[in-house]
Amino acid sequence: MINVEGLTRTYGAFTAVDDVSFVCQPGRVTGFLGPNGAGKTTTMRVMVGLTPPTRGRVTIGGHLYSDIPNPGRHVGVLLDASAQHAGRTGREILTIGAQTMGLPASRVDEMLALVSLSDNEAKRRLRNYSLGMKQRLGIAHALLGDPSVLILDEPANGLDPAGIRWMRGLLKGYADRGGTVLLSSHLLHEVEIIADEMILIGRGKIVAQGNKQQLLAGSTTTSTLVTSLTNDQLAQALQAKGFAVTPAGEGLKVEVAPVEVGRVAAEQQIVLTDLRSGDGGLEDLFLQLTSDTQRETLPEGAPA
Amino acid sequence: MSTTTAPGYIDLAGTEKVPLSRLVKVEVRKALDTRAGFWFAVSIVALVLAVEVIFAFAASDQDRTFENHLGIAGAVLGYFLPILIIMLVTSEASQRNGLVTFTLEPRRPRVVLAKFLAGLVLAVAVMVLSAVMAAVGMLIGRGDEWGVDGNLVFNGFILSAVVSVLIGFAIATLLMNTPAAIVGYFAYTLILPTAVGILSALSDWFNDLAPWIEFNTAQTPLFQGDYTPTGEEWAQIATSGFIWLVVPLVFGIRRLLRIEFK
Repeated sequence: MINVEGLTRTYGAFTAVDDVSFVCQPGRVTGFLGPNGAGKTTTMRVMVGLTPPTRGRVTIGGHLYSDIPNPGRHVGVLLDASAQHAGRTGREILTIGAQTMGLPASRVDEMLALVSLSDNEAKRRLRNYSLGMKQRLGIAHALLGDPSVLILDEPANGLDPAGIRWMRGLLKGYADRGGTVLLSSHLLHEVEIIADEMILIGRGKIVAQGNKQQLLAGSTTTSTLVTSLTNDQLAQALQAKGFAVTPAGEGLKVEVAPVEVGRVAAEQQIVLTDLRSGDGGLEDLFLQLTSDTQRETLPEGAPA
Repeated sequence: MSTTTAPGYIDLAGTEKVPLSRLVKVEVRKALDTRAGFWFAVSIVALVLAVEVIFAFAASDQDRTFENHLGIAGAVLGYFLPILIIMLVTSEASQRNGLVTFTLEPRRPRVVLAKFLAGLVLAVAVMVLSAVMAAVGMLIGRGDEWGVDGNLVFNGFILSAVVSVLIGFAIATLLMNTPAAIVGYFAYTLILPTAVGILSALSDWFNDLAPWIEFNTAQTPLFQGDYTPTGEEWAQIATSGFIWLVVPLVFGIRRLLRIEFK
């Protein structure tokens, strides 16, 4: 488990991470979410001792990272898949890691197979790797020492959709076997699917944390997207009840909670083909919570 | 401390530190497992062989002694060994793999020590190969004077190689950038002594001062005459070495221990 306690890191007048505290539990995937430059990477760098904290501390499994002997055997780290000598082959990069950790050479083959890098690909030099291949190699490197804690910074970056699904399954299985996983991302959807627990960070501060239900509990749904076989009839019925209706794509947007729309449809015996919340759910929440830290200001009423 | 059973507590009792010998082994491997590192090492040895062969044909009969062959090999090594060390150290920042190196061993002084020892291992390996090349040169030139002055072996060959490894180490840690460190090294080893030589020729006063403050000049007695510096010459090696070796080394290592690898 990872325990971040009151962590602050400043660079001169700039505060990269501001009094951040959270816990990553074993057996769970924790998503670390925030816009670019929110402090995710700095937090992770402090975790593994590459950056000294200004205040606060991080323990992994009850220990400071620098107190863990042969840390590769306990904590798997992927901070930047490109941060390897470009002139080394994929296999050589894993071999160096395995030798440092004192692992047999067979472990390298196991890991290459696990991340589906072929023999030929493993013989190529890193400078000839695509970003997706680098990420696979980086994940293989993080898993080399069979660690019980995984710290991954933007691991899905550059993976194709099949690769992202593969990684999701891999990390889910890893957590199900009792491992602790912390992965960061700036893409909400990526994290939403896989993470049991989410930590939202913006401008160095934690703005929200919890699982999906807890995060959404505070927000109430006030609009609905609905499509039916007879949209005109549905629109009339809804307007008769006093709800504002506007056409949206193939269906309608109604300014009321989905349950009310369903009730009207049931009364009128209208067949619905699609009924869902018109709010962006987590994404709206995410953008709202981090709005003052976003570089772009969203235009009013922009589609989620 | 085994009473702690909090969930997620990691028991470290069964984990040994990464032994220094293993770190050294990995660093030696890292110096040779890239094209740049491997071919540079091969080139050094090939260059020594080429120089030995040329000397075997070009030198006069009485000069074709094993001692001379060895001295030439040592001079070539002294120039190029530091670059191998520079690449080993600076690539951690230039190629950014320091991120991984210092994550797998967060106790940085151990990595620094491992790199220095790896540099020495490589230096010894290259020296042995060069001695073999010197012997090949002897056989080609049909030289028959195989006797070797122990002072040459120690001062002109081993000591100067250790110094050059340290110089490479100091420049590398100070600049932490491969091209800059190599340029810096050649400025130190080629331009600096030339400039000092010119100034010395112009001024007697500076000529007397030069060996005290310029490390290349001060080391000359290691390779010349009876390969044995006098007391004064040793003192010159010590003072100029303090300026050009000890001070940069201290600042460089301090930097390496604190730098934030990005």
